[in-house]
Amino acid sequence: MAKILIPTALRQFTEQSDSVEVTGATVSDALDALTAQYPNIKKNLFNDQGKLRSFVNVYVNDEDIRYLDKTDTKLTGTETISIVPSIAGGATAVEEQAPALTNDEIARFSRHLILPEVGMEGQTKLKNAKVAMIGAGGLGAPLGLYLAAAGVGRIGLVDFDVVDVSNLQRQVIHGTRDIGRKKLDSAADRMHDINPNVRIDKFDTGLTSENALEILRDYDVVVDGTDNFPTRYLVNDACVILKKPNVYGSIFRFEGQATVFAYEDGPCYRCLYPEPPPPGLVPSCAEGGVLGILPGIIGVIQATEAVKIILGIGETLKGRLLLYDALGMKFRELKLRRDKDCPVCGDHPTVTKLIDYQQFCGITPMSSEPMAASGVIDAVELKQKIDRGDKFVLLDVREPHEYQIARIPGSILIPLGDLPKRLNELDKDADIVAQCKSGGRSQKAVDLLKQNGFQHVRNMTGGITAWSDKVDPTVPKY
Amino acid sequence: MVLHAEQIYPSECCGAMLGRIHGKTKLVTEAVPLENAFAGQQHDRYELRPEDLLAADKAARTRGLDLIGIFHSHPDCDAYFSETDLKNSCPWYSFVVLSIQNGKFNHANSFLPDLDQTAAEPEEMKWPKS
Repeated sequence: MAKILIPTALRQFTEQSDSVEVTGATVSDALDALTAQYPNIKKNLFNDQGKLRSFVNVYVNDEDIRYLDKTDTKLTGTETISIVPSIAGGATAVEEQAPALTNDEIARFSRHLILPEVGMEGQTKLKNAKVAMIGAGGLGAPLGLYLAAAGVGRIGLVDFDVVDVSNLQRQVIHGTRDIGRKKLDSAADRMHDINPNVRIDKFDTGLTSENALEILRDYDVVVDGTDNFPTRYLVNDACVILKKPNVYGSIFRFEGQATVFAYEDGPCYRCLYPEPPPPGLVPSCAEGGVLGILPGIIGVIQATEAVKIILGIGETLKGRLLLYDALGMKFRELKLRRDKDCPVCGDHPTVTKLIDYQQFCGITPMSSEPMAASGVIDAVELKQKIDRGDKFVLLDVREPHEYQIARIPGSILIPLGDLPKRLNELDKDADIVAQCKSGGRSQKAVDLLKQNGFQHVRNMTGGITAWSDKVDPTVPKY
Repeated sequence: MVLHAEQIYPSECCGAMLGRIHGKTKLVTEAVPLENAFAGQQHDRYELRPEDLLAADKAARTRGLDLIGIFHSHPDCDAYFSETDLKNSCPWYSFVVLSIQNGKFNHANSFLPDLDQTAAEPEEMKWPKS
């Protein structure tokens, strides 16, 4: 026989007994036995739908059944079951506990309301939900559009970027007229146009170790639409620390990934990738390119997961990494497990506060600057050098398809990847200026050439983009 | 209760009230301060850990007392039963709200919420005569 301890207030229904002995294989059986014996207690514990009331917690010995098998938790018959209410409050009425849907909203969301899985209850959950979106770019575009349209009540946008013409191929939340505007403003306008009731909190900043916990604390779900490793680890660690589900997506060229991290007892990003790749190994979308439609698909999958988490329906991607290949048009799935030795979400975490993620990802701008400064040339100086008729080699280290888009007159092309085996094409004593799209790859080329004994090598800062900006606007930017 | 509320000001304090029930009268004989477990601004929110409440209930039982109510403070705010209080309440207990103004106790009220967390009845409160 298991023993159920009866709270004082309920003893009026149990003939003043402070404990009741019951038999049952599970907590559910035991509670049924209790309510069968004392029917009047039932409405205190269960609502009209037969579910435990929201304020009722059940403990078996000292364990909360929410962390065991809920009401299916098995009993051997020696347990003590306690009924403990959850209690909270505060002076201010919480604004997110907004009243039920207005008639306008009922009309707007009618196609949701007639889905029994959503209904009035679900749509009200969406209205009261708060989602933080990191980034209003490729993934942020479909996320912002669909989360606003779905009726999510409050959306926090974190972005510091400005709309550039090269964004429009995929960032469909922004338009041609928005070029030069803050992405925050452009995205918020479009989202308000779709759903005027959505409250948008704009954070005109990058997410940093200093501000992440403060910004994310107020939200229920975090959706990661970032494009770089330091921010991705930062979002992950902040979500684990704050216990917020992190809806993850990433895209590259023709392939994407999505999953849900730090949700319930599932894994986090660090369980999958404990260490970041060395800097430069994985190119960004700006360097490697991306099919414009790809973030649409991955972002919409993220939006779906966020909405499912808010509604509490379906099976989320928790513990599953969804892989998408646009060229093969295939979805695959990898199983993920929480790593009990994970430094952040493991049994004995070693990372319990936010760290320096630039450093963690091996990005140390301070130390590389002095070396770069001694061997650089900018677009204007390069133009003067050409105009003076100096004898030198302008080495373009981009890919052939980039060379087809735009080039600086007089340059020779050796893609960075081919450079090690084509060093013999270059004269070790020649005056060499290396150039790429924006200055990153050409710096690697300079380092490589110097290691191989080339004496007079300089990096062109800003690459062909700066050339177009400062010297020759007829050269297209891409 | 008053002492604890003033000490914790400007945050909200919370705790359990132990005592006995005689018919319709609830007699509080002891107040047990509990930790405010709300993760965020505690100036206008509080949250009780169920474990703490379970421990308070056990402590009461071993001493022949009952857990009969919950108290919390409203710093620089009247002692009303707010929407947040109501939505996170439980009809099994009396809820005493203490208004603390500028760090000093001002007034208090007691409420008994209903099952569906939609309304709370004010309860008459009498303080012991010193």
